[in-house]
Amino acid sequence: MKRHLSKLYLLGALIAAGILSLFESSISPYYYQIIIYIGINIILASSLNIINGFAGQFSLGHAGFMAIGAYTSAVITFSAHAQPGTVTGYAVFTGALLAAGLVASFFGLLVGIPSLRLKGDYLAITTLGLGEIIRVIIQNLDFLGAARGFTGIAKMSNFFWVYGVVAVVIVLIWNLIHSTYGKGFLAVRDDEIAAEAIGINATHYKVVAFVTGAFFAGIAGGLYAHFVTYINPSQFGFLRSFEIVVMVVVGGMGSIVGVILAVVILTILPEALRAIAQYRMIIYALLLIVIMLSRPQGLFGGGINVKRSFRKAPTGT
Amino acid sequence: MALLSLRNCTIRFGGLVAVSKLTLDIESDDLLGLIGPNGAGKTTMFNMITGVYRPTSGEILFDGSSIVGMKPYHVARLGIARTFQNIRLFPSLTVYETVQAALQKSISYGFAQAAVQMKYLHHQERIIHDTIIEILDFFNLTRVKDEMAVSLPYGFQRRVEIVRALAARPRLLLLDEPAAGMNPSEKAALMELIASIREHYQSAVFLIEHDMRVVMGICKRVSVIDYGVKIAEGTPQEIQNNPRVIEAYLGEKV
Repeated sequence: MKRHLSKLYLLGALIAAGILSLFESSISPYYYQIIIYIGINIILASSLNIINGFAGQFSLGHAGFMAIGAYTSAVITFSAHAQPGTVTGYAVFTGALLAAGLVASFFGLLVGIPSLRLKGDYLAITTLGLGEIIRVIIQNLDFLGAARGFTGIAKMSNFFWVYGVVAVVIVLIWNLIHSTYGKGFLAVRDDEIAAEAIGINATHYKVVAFVTGAFFAGIAGGLYAHFVTYINPSQFGFLRSFEIVVMVVVGGMGSIVGVILAVVILTILPEALRAIAQYRMIIYALLLIVIMLSRPQGLFGGGINVKRSFRKAPTGT
Repeated sequence: MALLSLRNCTIRFGGLVAVSKLTLDIESDDLLGLIGPNGAGKTTMFNMITGVYRPTSGEILFDGSSIVGMKPYHVARLGIARTFQNIRLFPSLTVYETVQAALQKSISYGFAQAAVQMKYLHHQERIIHDTIIEILDFFNLTRVKDEMAVSLPYGFQRRVEIVRALAARPRLLLLDEPAAGMNPSEKAALMELIASIREHYQSAVFLIEHDMRVVMGICKRVSVIDYGVKIAEGTPQEIQNNPRVIEAYLGEKV
């Protein structure tokens, strides 16, 4: 019985997102933008959580996947002259989002391959480098607008699209982690050698984690591009990757609920602190330090201590 | 035909020969003990059999076909399970989930089906649930099924590790010092456990152990290695009286 609930939740969430999107014109644009950013960040952080939290592969290149998704989908809708508010426009947008996810997941595969040989800090640095490579390449591709950025993207993303994807991502991760298949991710994260010794193919799980994580990061990038309507490479730099990692770590690696909560707090906080202008980033940073000192496992962490996982990571065998 | 046979296996790490020209047979109903001084190459042998290390030369046949060069997970799926000298449980999994993770072999669905929850997945998951409960019942672990495996007392942790190895019903179980760090009553319970495993699971057992009471008490045959070379093999009685073994490992009776 319990198993069927996930489909009901998904359906309920989609309907709720649809109904709520009818009221979007009555919300002030400022709050509306924050709500959309929260949704996009939930997709980004949850998808990174598959890689970092569940499969235990410390990746610092998530913004790279997001950039690939953003540019892929922007190129598609732009060259197809997709118009918001039309059926063909939204059909193109759907295809563009899927393409964004697929292209990003292909790059996820490329990044996943080094993860088979590298662990912990070494993998983090490698993924960081790969994320930067993606950004620098885009910066030098003239047909993507190079450093000037890509303008004139149709404004397609709205509450319904963003929270529809949020619902899908959360239900998918939930289903995955609660299946016997999904326990393989956790086993690989906890102890790769012991996992292999009981017949779990660690390579398979690592690659699947990277491909799935990158897929949804790509879609998040597509949603982002079609919300802000203007993208440029500097939006997808190291700081963006880092922001997503912080959300996952603060929420608790491997915790679905914790990560959502952290995204909400960390997206609203800088806005709420706007009143004290120049001090807000200090307070933001202090808060992170306090959380990490008092709860190294994150707000809702299921027993994964960040400090511990870093300490044991490089020893490997 | 032997279930597992090692033919002239050698493994070299740079200039060090850890295991040298080792030949060994394990029958499908065997309970073979492996003893030898520290650093003799016992754990290396386990790592070689399970695919963690690849032998520099020689052949390993499981059920008649070579398993040299196979990845550890592949070897495990063929039916060779193991435990570790220093317990390696999954720190964030409960006892129930630990056994569940070990049942990967018995699911026939993959990522996509797990993600969208297809119908036949529920059927399989129900069977897996029943299997887990049955195994935990058999090993008296039902009471602690929702506890984190690593939070249990030492003897229980050893037991959970053995259960994890047995969950997928291996044909050969490798136990690396199962009695290490146990008190006498835990050791007695362990010996009973190993006996019941052979009865109930019909799997061959190959164990490394330093506790002679355990080895001599339950093993049908004992193999002795020293500096990577097999120096003796036979029944516990024969081994205890073998002068080479006494010199290398057991020591003179006082």
